[in-house]
Amino acid sequence: MARPYPRTTSNTWWLKRWPYRIFILRELSAVFLAAYVVLLLVLVSKVHDGAKAFEDYLDVLQSPLLIAFHVVALLFMLLHTVTFFQAMPKGLPMRRGEELMPPALMIGGNYVAWLMVTVVVAAIFLV
Amino acid sequence: MSDATTTEERITLEVTRYRPEQDERPTSQRYEVPFHKDWVVLDALNYLKDHVDGTLSYRWSCRMGICGSCGMMVNGVPKLTCAAFLRDYRPGPVRVEPLANFPVERDLVIVLDDFMEKLQAVKPWIIRDEERPLSEGEYRQTPEQRAAYEQYSMCINCMLCYAACPVYQNKEEFLGPAVLALAQRYNLDSRDQGRQQRQELVWAEEGIWDCTFVGECSVVCPKHVDPAGAIQQAKVQSMIGWYRSFLMPFGGKSERE
Repeated sequence: MARPYPRTTSNTWWLKRWPYRIFILRELSAVFLAAYVVLLLVLVSKVHDGAKAFEDYLDVLQSPLLIAFHVVALLFMLLHTVTFFQAMPKGLPMRRGEELMPPALMIGGNYVAWLMVTVVVAAIFLV
Repeated sequence: MSDATTTEERITLEVTRYRPEQDERPTSQRYEVPFHKDWVVLDALNYLKDHVDGTLSYRWSCRMGICGSCGMMVNGVPKLTCAAFLRDYRPGPVRVEPLANFPVERDLVIVLDDFMEKLQAVKPWIIRDEERPLSEGEYRQTPEQRAAYEQYSMCINCMLCYAACPVYQNKEEFLGPAVLALAQRYNLDSRDQGRQQRQELVWAEEGIWDCTFVGECSVVCPKHVDPAGAIQQAKVQSMIGWYRSFLMPFGGKSERE
C-alpha cells in the first residue's frame, strides 16, 4: 500500500545553486594549478638547458593563448585562496579555554600572512 | 462591502503533492493564502490544512525551531518552515517541497529511516569502559571541557544538512553531516570513552572521507552546529591516528587527551 516516491540523484546538482557552482569552480581550480605547475617545471628545465632555451621558452610563454591561460589560472587561484581562507576556521578551529578564536581573526590572519609572504617574495625578485 | 477581503494581500504557494494511492509521481499544486508579515511558511501550510485542503500532509510540532520536524525545501533551499517568514519570499510564489535527498512518503512527508539507522549506528551517547555506580556520583566536567563539544550538541536532527549535501544526494551510503557531527560531539566529550567503538564507521570512506567539504550543511543548519567543521576536524584526527598506528604499530594506541 505505502509506496514512497524514491529519492532522486542528479548529475547536475552543481548547476542548481550558487554555493554549489562556487564549490565546483574551486574543485576545478586544481586543474589549472596542475597545468601551471607543469609550465613552471618546464621553465626550470629550460633554465637548466641554458640561456638560449630559456629565452625561447619565454617567447613561447608570451603567446596570447598562454597569457590568457595565466590570467584564467590566476583568477582560479584567487578564488581558491579566498574560499580556502573562508573555510579554514571550520577545518581548524582553535580555542583558548572556553573561548573559540573568532573566525574573522583567523581569516584576517591568513590575509596578513599572505601579504607578508608576497612582500618577501617581491623583495627577493624585484629589489 | 467586502473591501477588507478584496484588498488583503495574498501570496501564492506552490506545494508538492504526492498521494501514493493515486499519483505516479509528485506534482505541484498552487494555493493562495493570505499574506501576514508575521506568518512563516508553516503558518501558511496550517492555514491551507485548516481552511482549504484538509488532505495536505506535512510534519510539524513545536513551531519554535527546537523539534526539528518541519524541515522542507523552500524555494529550493532546506529550511525549518517555522522559521522561514513569508515576507522574505514576497511577492512569491513560494515553492514548498519535501526535503531533498529522501524518499517521499506523502506530500511533504519524507521517509527518514535511513537517517535514524545511521544515527543509532554511531552510538550517540556517552559510552564508558566501565559504568561507575551511582553512589560515586556524576561524571564531572569543567566548563572548558564542555565547551569543546557544546556546539555540536545543539543538533535537533532536522536533516536540513542532508537535504543540502550533494555527496549524500549521490551516495546514499554516506553517513552524512549530522550523524558525523554527533559522533564527533561524543568523541570530544571528556566523559566519553567510546571513540574506538565509533571509529570503524566514522573513519571509513562512507564516514568522514566521502565528505568533499562543500560546506552547505553548515550554511543551512538552523542551530549553527557546523557539521562541515566537525567532519574536517575528524579527518585531521583520523589522519593523526593513521600515522600513529602506521609508525607505532605496537604503541600509541590511545589518543585521548
